[in-house]
Amino acid sequence: MSTLVGYVNNITETVSTIFEGMAITFSHFARRPMTIQYPDRIEKPVQETLPLRYRGILEVDLDICTGCLACERVCPITCITIGIEMNKETKQRAFSHFDIDICKCMYCGLCAEICPTGSIRHSQEFEGACYNPAGLVRHFAKEPVPLYKPKKGGETDPKLAMKAEVGLKYLDEFATPEGKAAGAEEG
Amino acid sequence: MSEAPHNGGEAFHTEDMTISMGPQHPSTHGVLRFIVKTDGEVMSEAIPDVGYLHRSIEKIGEKVTWHGYVPYTDRADYLAAMFTNQAFCMAAEKLGGIEVARRGEFCRVIACELNRIASHLISVGTFGQDIGAVTPFLHALRERETINNFMEEICGARLTYNYIRIGGVGYDILPETCARVREFLDHFEPIVDEYNRLLSYNKIFVERLANIAAITREDAFQYNIVGPNLRACGLKWDIRRDIPYSVYPELEFDIPVGTGEKGTLGDCYDRYIVRIREMEESCKILRQCLKMLPKGPAIAKVARKFKPPAGEVYVRVEAPRGDMGFYVVSDGSEYPYRVRIRTGSFTAMSLIDKISRGLMVADLIALIASLDVDAPEIDR
Repeated sequence: MSTLVGYVNNITETVSTIFEGMAITFSHFARRPMTIQYPDRIEKPVQETLPLRYRGILEVDLDICTGCLACERVCPITCITIGIEMNKETKQRAFSHFDIDICKCMYCGLCAEICPTGSIRHSQEFEGACYNPAGLVRHFAKEPVPLYKPKKGGETDPKLAMKAEVGLKYLDEFATPEGKAAGAEEG
Repeated sequence: MSEAPHNGGEAFHTEDMTISMGPQHPSTHGVLRFIVKTDGEVMSEAIPDVGYLHRSIEKIGEKVTWHGYVPYTDRADYLAAMFTNQAFCMAAEKLGGIEVARRGEFCRVIACELNRIASHLISVGTFGQDIGAVTPFLHALRERETINNFMEEICGARLTYNYIRIGGVGYDILPETCARVREFLDHFEPIVDEYNRLLSYNKIFVERLANIAAITREDAFQYNIVGPNLRACGLKWDIRRDIPYSVYPELEFDIPVGTGEKGTLGDCYDRYIVRIREMEESCKILRQCLKMLPKGPAIAKVARKFKPPAGEVYVRVEAPRGDMGFYVVSDGSEYPYRVRIRTGSFTAMSLIDKISRGLMVADLIALIASLDVDAPEIDR
């Protein structure tokens, strides 16, 4: 008799717990869907909704790059290669190449933090698929670009000043470990 | 194929069959292979064959600088990268005698506990999926997605964070993020109850796990089982409480242990339910940390060319997969002399052969899922 009672109890318990689970599943019909149709049916590109600290594909603004090679040295995977040559005629040092191998990059953010002018930074771009691995090596100096020399007392060229400001703003917002931006939370 | 020691009667000549489960099997959680000897459905032996995901992370440690090694530690256990970050940074700080900024310590604990919830969500979600319940997996991943978004706000990456640095943390946690985490906790705690109703107390699920592959306390000691798997055997051992580090001594939290509520002590169900309870405890810790978050810098001043004095240290942290240890030797140069990582999943592998004898093949899946082994952590 007891085995029969146990048998029936088992069945009732199984059925009741299954229906409890099903009730939760069905309650999701009334909730907001969590999935989105990517990339066709989204309101605005995902790149625009990403937080500022998002570490996407690296980009370099060579106009404000001083050529200090700090990023090349700090990169643990040596995916950044920089070449600087002296132009014999103008006696000016210029980048002969500035390549970043996106294949190798592990998006650790060490280079962007160490940059004094904020010229190398992580963009919000993450879609980097291409058919050829060579296409993933980003060449930033297609022709020789002269090095940027920060002027004392602020930048005078308005175009460069704007770029320098963007870089410094990025540095501020990307890495604020000193606690400048954030105060303590009130309980 | 080898001849079985026992012949099933004179008329029948039976042989054990050796089959290979994995390395591409979806329920082995990564590339992990088991050499299984079966007699029909019953296994007589299951030998784990590790090494398919070896990336020589320990060796790389000897070739990169102290700061540069932190992003590599992410890859040692990518489901819980915060903990590997923290363990290595703690080792470096201990060697260099650096005191971590107080705000940095709290930021670390917040990030780590968020990461623990995310890791346990993956664990319990895939557990259900391995057993055959696909819906709970999606529920778990939905919550994990929110945590990933927080991580993106905090440190800019979703999986390999490189957030915890030597001396503190790389980026400060902003007040907006704190508010959003608090909102998430209010939303998440009822979700755990819902998840329990959906999966944990489901009769079929319980029947599949109760009394399966129970680990005794002696076995757990002898094979060095750590973390939630050890606590499921009824032993209250948590590095956060017993060998305190960071600011955990200031926080109040319980240590959930297995009680054998549905079957024997230390069975698969206990290992499962301990993880569910740990997520609730993590929520408690997070609430306290968000309240206590002090002002000040989040990182201490550390030289760019960090050169700790010669010496060796061993530090342990309580990762989601148990006691994680970093043994680091310094010879006073810019590079670590030797880095050795000790992880919980690797020791759990050694026990599988012993407790899988006499189990059904389908129960081996439950056993692997309940141990929450993670292939990158086994091989490093």
